[in-house]
Amino acid sequence: MIRNITLGQFIPGHSLIHRMDPRMKIALTFAFIIFLFIASNFAGMLLMVALMFVVLLCSGVPLSLYFKSLKGILFIVLFTAVLNLFYGGGTVVWRCPFFPVMQITDGGIGNAVFVSVRIVCLILYSSVLTFTTSPTELTDALERIMKPLKVLHIKVHEIAMMMTIALRFVPTLLEETDKIMSAQKARGADMESGGVMQRIRSLIPVLVPLFVSSFRRAYDLAMAMECRCYHGGEGRTKMKQFHLTKVDAGAAACTALICAAVIFCTAYFPASLR
Amino acid sequence: MEYLSAQNTSFSYEETEDEEKLEVLHGVTLGIRKGEFVALLGHNGSGKSTLAKHFNAMLLPSGGKVYVDGLDTMDENLKLEIRRRVGLVLQNPDNQLVASVVEEDVAFGPENLGIAPPEIRRRVDEALQAVEMYDYRLNAPYKLSGGQKQRIAIAGIIAMEPDCIVLDEPTAMLDPRGRDEVLSTIHRLNREKGITVVLITHYMDEAVGADRVVVMDRGEILTQGTPREVFSQVQLLKDHQLDVPQATELVWRLRQEGFDLPECALSAEECVTALQKLLTRDF
Repeated sequence: MIRNITLGQFIPGHSLIHRMDPRMKIALTFAFIIFLFIASNFAGMLLMVALMFVVLLCSGVPLSLYFKSLKGILFIVLFTAVLNLFYGGGTVVWRCPFFPVMQITDGGIGNAVFVSVRIVCLILYSSVLTFTTSPTELTDALERIMKPLKVLHIKVHEIAMMMTIALRFVPTLLEETDKIMSAQKARGADMESGGVMQRIRSLIPVLVPLFVSSFRRAYDLAMAMECRCYHGGEGRTKMKQFHLTKVDAGAAACTALICAAVIFCTAYFPASLR
Repeated sequence: MEYLSAQNTSFSYEETEDEEKLEVLHGVTLGIRKGEFVALLGHNGSGKSTLAKHFNAMLLPSGGKVYVDGLDTMDENLKLEIRRRVGLVLQNPDNQLVASVVEEDVAFGPENLGIAPPEIRRRVDEALQAVEMYDYRLNAPYKLSGGQKQRIAIAGIIAMEPDCIVLDEPTAMLDPRGRDEVLSTIHRLNREKGITVVLITHYMDEAVGADRVVVMDRGEILTQGTPREVFSQVQLLKDHQLDVPQATELVWRLRQEGFDLPECALSAEECVTALQKLLTRDF
């Protein structure tokens, strides 16, 4: 059951997006997310959604996988949408007969739609990043992007190294959890019945051995790393070098164009449309 | 001159609250020549792993000296240089892989040494070819078998282009097939690249192919010599609760029963030939 969880859901491929420099992908994802919140009317939002769909199609990843990634957050989207219905000004559309304070306004409906579209776009667009970039590329790119932070004495290399190792050990520890659970079940542990508290309590005999073995692994790994001359980030080189290509330049130009258009829409179209 | 040299080396773990000071090595003197394939045998707790960790300055002797290619392991400044020359492969293949892509894991060592990127690429490809894992270079390690993972770990060491590899029970957690893969890989590296190999194991059969066998017991060297010399001393090994290869054991037992057999057979083939000779002569 545990094996079905997809983590680091990288899907190998050779699409335009796959070939992009991961640093550029991260930068553009950030830009997209920022402009998702700048776009405050339908015209701007439409542009953002259009851009997102173009990127989804360019990624060469089956669309069904993207929708699968949405399933998990469906509840959050609905929850925030319903919550937003009750906030906002404008003409009252419906008033709760028992609690007159609870009322739905047309502004509230607009808010609800905008918030849901924003969350969905956010998830889909960041899925593009994780689907098309291998975890190691991601941490590598983050390390390079954050390099300037070294001035502030932030241990950029150490953070990136921790992320790499964490990602590396996720499947190993999942497998181990599975094994320990089977071992405890074989000894008569009951993990599938009872209330929430009961189930949480029944996880303790799984977590304790898992922790112990993780520490043993950490000790081993530290030794193995030292054996391989690891001595921190100083004087370290990287086998893989990133290069910005025409694809990156094109993607950046397209995104910049759309973002400019979004700013234009926000500034010139009446906000009352929302 | 000896490449690895332990001179009257002793080692004891520091005293802790619940354990008193425990000396695990009592003045071991051992030299290993360049290009040699040495098997280090012994029980759990015989000090063989402890000795191994002295050869790349992971542990420092509390008495005596350890030299690697003439470099004193006590010298803090030489630590990296020593670890580049002597690579240590550990028992659990899962716990020594750092990255989630095979080739990036192999690149970890050279990256630490600050080698130029194109040169790292060349070394990684070469190391992966040397352990016959080149086709798996883009795989995730957790999807590989134990033997394959251990070969990746070996590739990660070779990519640093060491003179010597010390393997601390590299096959203990593997199935028989994985063991064969790993063993044939180390033998090939020793033969073709001239890499000095120190193989620590408690499987007697693995020691048969070595140039020299060193048997350790309770922190001391019990006996050493060619596999034939060592495994002829069946009684001595048995007195210290150590096994001999199965073929050797069979021939020895038959000899005890008065059959006219050679003093020592190392492999199954050798044993079969000896038995054949005996049987055809009798009838």
